[in-house]
Amino acid sequence: MDHVQQVRKQIANYLFAVLLIENFIVIGAMWYAQNYLAISPFIVLGAGLAVALISSLLLASTASKLTMQPLKAIWQIILHIAPEGNTPMAPPDTAKLKIGRELVTNLTGQIYQLASVAERVAASTKIENADLSHSFVANNLPLPLIVMDSSETIKFANQAVAEYIGIAASELIGKNVYMALDMSFPNDDTFDTWLKDAKQNNATSIHSWERVRLNVRDNHPTRLFDLAGYYNKDNSDQMETIMVLFDHTKQYSQDDQAISFIALSVHELRTPLTLLRGYIEVFEDELAGKVDPQLFDFMQKMSATAQQLTSFVNNILNVARIDDDQLELQLHEEDWYSILTSAVENLSLRAKVRGITLETTIAPNLPAVGVDRLSIHEVLNNLIDNAIKYSGTSPIIKIDAHTTTEGLVETTIEDFGLGIATNVLPNLFTKFYRDHRNRAQIGGTGLGLYLAKTMVSAHGGNLWVRSKEDSGSTFGFTLLPYSQLSEEAKKNGDNGIVRGAHGWIKNHSMYRR
Amino acid sequence: MESDQTPDQTLTPHPTRKILCIEDEHFIAELYDRSLTKAGYDVDVMSDGLKALAAAQTDTYDIILLDLMVPNMTGIEILRALRDPNQTPSLRAKIIITTNLEQREDVRTDIEAQADGYLVKAEMTPHELADFVNTIE
Repeated sequence: MDHVQQVRKQIANYLFAVLLIENFIVIGAMWYAQNYLAISPFIVLGAGLAVALISSLLLASTASKLTMQPLKAIWQIILHIAPEGNTPMAPPDTAKLKIGRELVTNLTGQIYQLASVAERVAASTKIENADLSHSFVANNLPLPLIVMDSSETIKFANQAVAEYIGIAASELIGKNVYMALDMSFPNDDTFDTWLKDAKQNNATSIHSWERVRLNVRDNHPTRLFDLAGYYNKDNSDQMETIMVLFDHTKQYSQDDQAISFIALSVHELRTPLTLLRGYIEVFEDELAGKVDPQLFDFMQKMSATAQQLTSFVNNILNVARIDDDQLELQLHEEDWYSILTSAVENLSLRAKVRGITLETTIAPNLPAVGVDRLSIHEVLNNLIDNAIKYSGTSPIIKIDAHTTTEGLVETTIEDFGLGIATNVLPNLFTKFYRDHRNRAQIGGTGLGLYLAKTMVSAHGGNLWVRSKEDSGSTFGFTLLPYSQLSEEAKKNGDNGIVRGAHGWIKNHSMYRR
Repeated sequence: MESDQTPDQTLTPHPTRKILCIEDEHFIAELYDRSLTKAGYDVDVMSDGLKALAAAQTDTYDIILLDLMVPNMTGIEILRALRDPNQTPSLRAKIIITTNLEQREDVRTDIEAQADGYLVKAEMTPHELADFVNTIE
C-alpha cells in the first residue's frame, strides 16, 4: 500500500509541477506580448488560448504515458513469465522507470515467486502424467497401488502390488482389472458398481471398501484388505482410476479363525446330538405301542427337544457366518410346495408335543421359487419354531402360501398366542433382541428372527410382522419366483445365482462359479 | 437335503445292495448299521481311513457313506483317491458324504463336485438316513 501511495504522490507532484510551469509560461508570454510588443489584446488572448490548448494536449499525453509506465512494466513481466498466446517479451528495465519504480520492483519480485511455485506444481504433475514407472514415490510406496485407464485396463502397478499378490507388475499391466484381480466384496457395494456410477455421474469420486477379499491363484494365500478408489474424469485417459490396497489379512483372518472355532464347537455339539436323536429313535421304534402312553409322550418330547437343539446349533453357525460375511447362498429353482411341506413336517413333532397343530394351506399353481434350500429351511424353521414358542395355550398355527398381486410367493405363519407389544415391534429383528416381558417364561436367544430377516433379504424377499398383544402374531415373507431371478442370471451370463447375506458377492459379472 | 426326504414306501432296496460305512464314531456307526441292516442292506463298517480306502477300491460296494473325520486319512483324501482313475480304476459306488463338520466354502464346493451326496448327520435320524439311502438310484 505504501508503494501505491508513493506512486499517487509522485504523479500528483509531477502534474502540479508541469501545470505550474505551463501556466507561468503562458501568462508570462501574454504579459510580455501586451506590454512590450504592443500587440492587440485580442490577438494576445487568442494566441494565449491556442498555446494553452496545445500545451494541455502535450501535457495530457505525457502524463498518461508516465502514469501508465508502472502498469506497462507489470504487464511486460507477466508476459515474460507466461507468454501463453502472446509473443514472449523481454523483462522491463525497472531502473529506467520514472514513476512507481519501488512498486514495480516489489510486484515483480512477488510475481516471479508465484511463477516459480506454479512451475514446481506443473512440473510435478507433468512427471506423474508422463510415466509412473519412473516415479520414485509410486514405485516405492509401501502400499499396493494400481492405476487404470478409461477402459479399466491396468496401466501401472507398483512393486508393492507384486509382493502383495505374487503377480509381477509386468503380468498385470495391459490386463483388464476384473480379469486380473478376482476381488470379492462383503456386499453389493463393489468396486465395479462404484466405478460405473462414478463414470456416469461424477467428474471425480473417491470411495473406500472394507474387508475386500482377493482370491489369488496358485497357492498364494488369500488376501484381505481395505480398498480405496479414486476416479477423476479429468485425469489423462491413461490414469483415470487409481486404487490403493490397505492390507488387513492378519486381522481379518483372525476373525476367520473365530469362525473355525465356532465350526469346531458346532461339530462337537452335533456329534452327541446325532447320537441322542439316533438312540431316542431306536426307543421309539422298539417301544411304540408297548409302553405306557405317557412314557411314549415323554420320549417324543425328548426327541423334539433334541431336534430343537440341533436347530439352535445351526443358528449359531449361521449367525457367525453372517457376521463374518461368509454366508453364501446358491439360489436354485425349487418347488415351494415340497419345501414348505417338508419343513412343516419336520416341525410337526415339536408342535405336537406342545399340543399344537400346524395347519397348512398352500395355493395351487405357485410358481417355482429361486431359493437356497438349506437357508430357506432355516427361515421356516425359525419362524414356525417361534410361533410354537409364543402360542401359549392356543392349539393352532396357520401356515399359508399364496401369490401376491405383484407375482411374489408369500408365506405367512400365524399364531394366536401371546402377541407382541407395539413398542417392541421395531426391535424385533435385531440380533439378541428379546421381548423383556417373555424373557423369563420363554427360552430363546434372539437369534432366530434376526437370521430369518437376513436370509429372506438375501433371497431378495421381504420379511414382515403384524401383531396384536394377547391375540397373536403373523410373520410373513415374500420370495421371488425363479423366472424373475433367472432374468438376473441371464444378465450375468451365469447358471447358478450366488448371493450373500451380506455374503460374498463376486465382483464382476464376468465371474463364473 | 436332510429332512426333505419323505419316506417313500414304494421304493424297496435291492436285497444285495452293499454299503460301506466309513465312520470312526462307534455309536453312530452302530446306529447306522442297525438302521440300514433293518432296511435290507448289507453293511460293512470301517473306522480306519487307509483300510476303508482299500476296501472301497475293491469295488464291491454300491454305496459308500464317508465321514470326513477318520483316522489315518481324511475323508477328503479318501474322496480324491476314489475319484482318481490312477488310484481307483473303476468305482460303481455312489459316494455320500456324512459329516457334522461345517466346511469352508471352497472345500464344500470341491466336495460337491466330487461326491454324489452330502448330509449333516445331526440333521437326520438313522431312520431318515435309511430313507435317504433308499432314494439313491
